[in-house]
Amino acid sequence: MNNLGIVLAVAGAVLAALLAGIGSAKGVGLVGEAAAGVVSVDPSKFSKVLILELLPGTQGLYGLLTAILLLSRVGIIGGTAAELTAAQGWMFFAASLPMAIVGLISGIVQGRTAAAGVGITAKKPDHNGKGIIMAAMVETYAILALLISILLIYNIAI
Amino acid sequence: MSRTDHASAVAAVKAMENSLLTHSDTEQLIAAKTDSEFRSVLSAKNADGQDLEAVWEMLRSYAPDNREMQILLYRNDFHDLKAVLKALISNRDPSVYFIKPSNVELEQLSTAFREKSAEGLPQHLKKTAEEAYELLTRTMDGQLSDTLIDTAALSQMQEDAARFGGQFIQRYAQLTAACADIKTAYRCCLMKKPGQFLQAAICGSRGLPKEDIIDAVLGGQESFFSYLETTDYAELASLLKKSAAAFEKRCDDLLIELADEARLQTFGIEPLEAYYIAKEAEIKNIRIIKVCRECGSDKEIITERMRKLYV
Repeated sequence: MNNLGIVLAVAGAVLAALLAGIGSAKGVGLVGEAAAGVVSVDPSKFSKVLILELLPGTQGLYGLLTAILLLSRVGIIGGTAAELTAAQGWMFFAASLPMAIVGLISGIVQGRTAAAGVGITAKKPDHNGKGIIMAAMVETYAILALLISILLIYNIAI
Repeated sequence: MSRTDHASAVAAVKAMENSLLTHSDTEQLIAAKTDSEFRSVLSAKNADGQDLEAVWEMLRSYAPDNREMQILLYRNDFHDLKAVLKALISNRDPSVYFIKPSNVELEQLSTAFREKSAEGLPQHLKKTAEEAYELLTRTMDGQLSDTLIDTAALSQMQEDAARFGGQFIQRYAQLTAACADIKTAYRCCLMKKPGQFLQAAICGSRGLPKEDIIDAVLGGQESFFSYLETTDYAELASLLKKSAAAFEKRCDDLLIELADEARLQTFGIEPLEAYYIAKEAEIKNIRIIKVCRECGSDKEIITERMRKLYV
């Protein structure tokens, strides 16, 4: 049980990368489907729909960032893993949750919003920016989750 | 998490909506002085020589196994059933009367009637095909068999829409049935048809129950219109009093208004169905303009007859 602390910290890092990655994959995939539909009719809209497709991909990056920061903080990256108590391990685990859960949900929801934005681009290409803004609004919550995860990771006393 | 199906198809359909005829295109078509001018407006929108079958095939390629979408073709299916049955009975070529797109092939229908077995037909046609064949061969009364098939088409649409369709297709089926019932009931009113005939000719729908329509029709024209005025279809009643053309136009417009709501969805089969309805209306509009131009009708009359546009 001496290793429980570090195991929990690693599990937190895995969860952040995993769930946020799943959210992004689902979101990007959904927008990709919609984008492919538009491009099949009008290939000239490729660049416009590509921006929308990229938007839900950020959650995966935030999850990755959270995982790297957490692993770095507990010394896994760098060679010497810190000796963590179970309480510290749980704290690191909890610190990863905002990014993991919000990353999963916001990735999927942003995908839906961006797919709707693809519809705007399809019908009114000049209003493409509005679709991007609407999808980008969802991003706010992923950024807030990332912020709180980072603050927690750096402020847990080891 | 709610549905995200048909995202690709819906986006493609939204891109295709840009090539639907707009109000200004329609005005240009009506105002075209020569046939070449008329054709060039259509060519600019790729609407020259378009047929509904190609539209259907394209939509079907996006949703090949969608049973709900097939309900849109039930009217054509039952028309084809009616046409092939009568053509075969009277030794005529059924292909002349067969319309497409359809969920059933001409060969399937011909084989079914030749072999006196409805086994090879789609499920929604089987029972009606057997009944209509039996009725027509027994009575040789074409009107009776037509009535049976028309009513069966409307009730099958509603039944299947309720069984495996969403809200949009259910409302589509109800509206189609209501419009058809009002038209039939009005004709029966004028021709003073007996209750027995009405029982076979009226289908009924939500908001317009069969027994209520029959009671109203049996009371005469005044009672029929008074009844309609108490329903959701009061507007149609007042138009029907004025002219059959205005009534038909409003029925088509109501379908487009229904489709207009469905096209705002980002996912699901509804925007595809709405696009098909829009394309159907567009082709009808082009046909009306063509016919009116050939007859030398006034621009005002053509404009008055134009169906509502989707874009």
